[in-house]
Amino acid sequence: MLNVIDYVPGNTVLHRLNPVTKLALAAAIIIATVLADGYAALIGLLLLTLVLGIYAGSGSRLLSLLKVLVPVAVLMLVLQLAFVRRGEVIALFITTDGLVSGTKACLRLLGVALPLVLVLTVTKTTDLANACVEKLHIPYKYAFTFTTALRFVPVFTQEMNAIMEAQTARGVEFDTKNPVKKLLLMLPVCVPLLVTSVGKTDATALAAEQRGFYLRTRESSYRRYPFRARDVVVGVLCILLIAAGAAL
Amino acid sequence: MQPTADPIIEMRHVSFSYGHEDARALDDITLAIEPGAFVGVIGPSGAGKSTLASVLSGAIPHHFTGQLFGETIVDGSDTCEVTLTDISRVVGSVNQDIDAQMVASVVEDELIFGLENFGVDHRHIEKFIEAALDAVGIADLRDREIATLSGGQKQKVAIAAILALAPRVLVLDEPTAALDPVSSRMVFDVLRDLNRDEGITVIVIEQKVALLSEYCDRLVVMNEGRVALDGTPHEVFAHSSELRAIGVDSPRTARISNSLAHRGLCPAGDPCLNVDEAAALIADIVKARAGAPAPVEARALGRATASPHAPAPRPHAKGAEPIVRFSGVTFAYPGGGASVNNLDLTVYPGELVGIVGQNGAGKTTATKLLNGLLKPSSGSVVIAGLDTREVPVSRIARHVATLFQNPDHQLCKNTVLEEVAFGLELAGVSQTDAEARARRVIERFGLPADEAPFSLSRGQRQMVALASVVVCEPAVVVLDEPTSGLDYRECMTVMETVREMAEHGSAVVMVCHDMEVVSDFAERLVVMADGCILARGATAEVFADAALMARARVKPPQVVELSQRLAREVSPAFARISEVAGIVDTTEALAGGGANAAEAPLPSATKADAATDAREA
Repeated sequence: MLNVIDYVPGNTVLHRLNPVTKLALAAAIIIATVLADGYAALIGLLLLTLVLGIYAGSGSRLLSLLKVLVPVAVLMLVLQLAFVRRGEVIALFITTDGLVSGTKACLRLLGVALPLVLVLTVTKTTDLANACVEKLHIPYKYAFTFTTALRFVPVFTQEMNAIMEAQTARGVEFDTKNPVKKLLLMLPVCVPLLVTSVGKTDATALAAEQRGFYLRTRESSYRRYPFRARDVVVGVLCILLIAAGAAL
Repeated sequence: MQPTADPIIEMRHVSFSYGHEDARALDDITLAIEPGAFVGVIGPSGAGKSTLASVLSGAIPHHFTGQLFGETIVDGSDTCEVTLTDISRVVGSVNQDIDAQMVASVVEDELIFGLENFGVDHRHIEKFIEAALDAVGIADLRDREIATLSGGQKQKVAIAAILALAPRVLVLDEPTAALDPVSSRMVFDVLRDLNRDEGITVIVIEQKVALLSEYCDRLVVMNEGRVALDGTPHEVFAHSSELRAIGVDSPRTARISNSLAHRGLCPAGDPCLNVDEAAALIADIVKARAGAPAPVEARALGRATASPHAPAPRPHAKGAEPIVRFSGVTFAYPGGGASVNNLDLTVYPGELVGIVGQNGAGKTTATKLLNGLLKPSSGSVVIAGLDTREVPVSRIARHVATLFQNPDHQLCKNTVLEEVAFGLELAGVSQTDAEARARRVIERFGLPADEAPFSLSRGQRQMVALASVVVCEPAVVVLDEPTSGLDYRECMTVMETVREMAEHGSAVVMVCHDMEVVSDFAERLVVMADGCILARGATAEVFADAALMARARVKPPQVVELSQRLAREVSPAFARISEVAGIVDTTEALAGGGANAAEAPLPSATKADAATDAREA
């Protein structure tokens, strides 16, 4: 089963960048998106993320993520339209100001969500953790927690699917068309999921300790993550990107 | 491998109880493990096997809390006085849940993790990785994503990751619980190589007796926190009646030789652990007692009383309307995976049908098509007159009940009573009625009605799941690996209950890796491979078809293998016997004298007898 955040193997420049640089790139796009105020800039940044994704071979992942995010964005637009009451009325409860701030909020939501996912699809989580420990001096404990959480996402998704299948086969109406009813049915099922996840986390902690987790230091990592020329170039581009975002 | 060497692990009067409980999970255990040994630990659920593994690997006292008495010495140091990390340098452990112990997303990184942590010189890391991958035979998986591996491959990666750390002892807790027979065997092959070539001491907790008896040189049988028996497999399986009282199965060949010994046909105390030994023993008995059997006469006899042991079809399976009908069913997962092609299958009320085949053959897909979780992309599945494509799964569920491999996916209520009644309530039975019916079933199963299902043991949780299937009195029962993770006694209780349901008119379709269970309980088999049905027919006939079994990569049960061998080498009277009692009776008859052989092999044993096989005790 493939997940949105799974690593997509490849050998593009994006793959070969230092994981920390990739994080910086994602951060730069996000900051620029937050700072930018024009439609051109917002759409441009979104397109930049998509183009990078297509270049790195994870375009289809980003698109499938978009499919999930667009309904959320539309919901946000409706809320913005309902709450922002300034400007001229266009139709019903829709005002000009509401439309502008609503559409921008939508674009920002998409622009903030996609870059991080892009980074995760072009970086192995172990590399990300080790590079962060080496370059950013993050304690390994936190890096390990983060990568374990990411690794558990597909495991728990599978578990949840198996539970829902089992419950459906018992006659619980998970196959209902009504989303509210489905959500209500899902709540009691979270109990078995919680029970399994606590057990799994404990087993992971034990297994890690039995493989010398507490001996690990910043120097332990076998792989090294030096900054290269391309990292410097991308770093400079990141600064320019933020500056451009603030200006536009 | 000097048996006289100092033990690498020694437990002296060790007792342990979890938390503040009074009940002791381990009760005064004294055990010494010699370096280079291959030790199997077996016992019923709740016997303290996993607790024993935790003590050996240092997880007790360092990870689990409770009250510990006595001392455990690992390589000269008391486990209470050194850290878990230090113990891990000597003892590598592989736990039950494979997914939970992985730390990386790629195989190579998984191996590097431990090496990095233990501060192995970075110049040597490459060498260690290669050696570990080679030792386990997975060099080709080095760059693979762990998420894309099969269960057996993952288990090997887990072993390799521990092996890279060069431990002197490996402790494995049910490493094959989630694997099919072929993968289980591969894992044990790896363990045997490591034990023989690298001199690594292996301690493995396992339920599969046939594997243990074949690979281990020492068996420890646990019961109620104590060591009940300890010795070589031959020594241990000579006590098969004691084992049965504890709730531990014996290899079928051991049951045969013990029964023969009981009837005075061979000396007691040296059970046969595999088909080779049993075939040799029986050939000797027949030849010694009866002289050389007249081959011509015997062959004529074989033809005249063709297959005296073929089980009679259930009378109630005839003349009824089919309850399940697959016609030309095809299904493919969108992302690839076990698809099925053009399946045709009809099941009648009261039938017990087994589906066998390798992993990935499409067995589970077939069961999901049956309970409606998957809809066929072409062809149709009709259950009790309902086409699964037209009716929602929740309505099909009123006719089809499924028992899944993992009971935890099924349980969601606060008490056993609510849990068992839940299915009935979903089907529209009033709450008072549902609870009354649930209470009757709970009482029959001897389950605690007011306890939370999740506080029960694994085997009991499976019984709760089974009770909630039984209470619904479904027309069709689907079982997906109903016995995995259960001990022998629990397995028999589950299967006897299922057989009773079949006798009361439910149609049962079962997917099961344990061919002994299939051969004991299924009356009809469907053999699958690569998403297609290869063959179908009466259980004994299907198992007897060696070419078919090879094509489906299914290993037939020991008794079938043995009877085929004996029919070829000793007497055709052995042909098509699929039960322990049949082999014993036939051997006795043949040994009793050539003349008697003609009327000897009575098809006396029913399938139920074969399962419990009371004669032997």
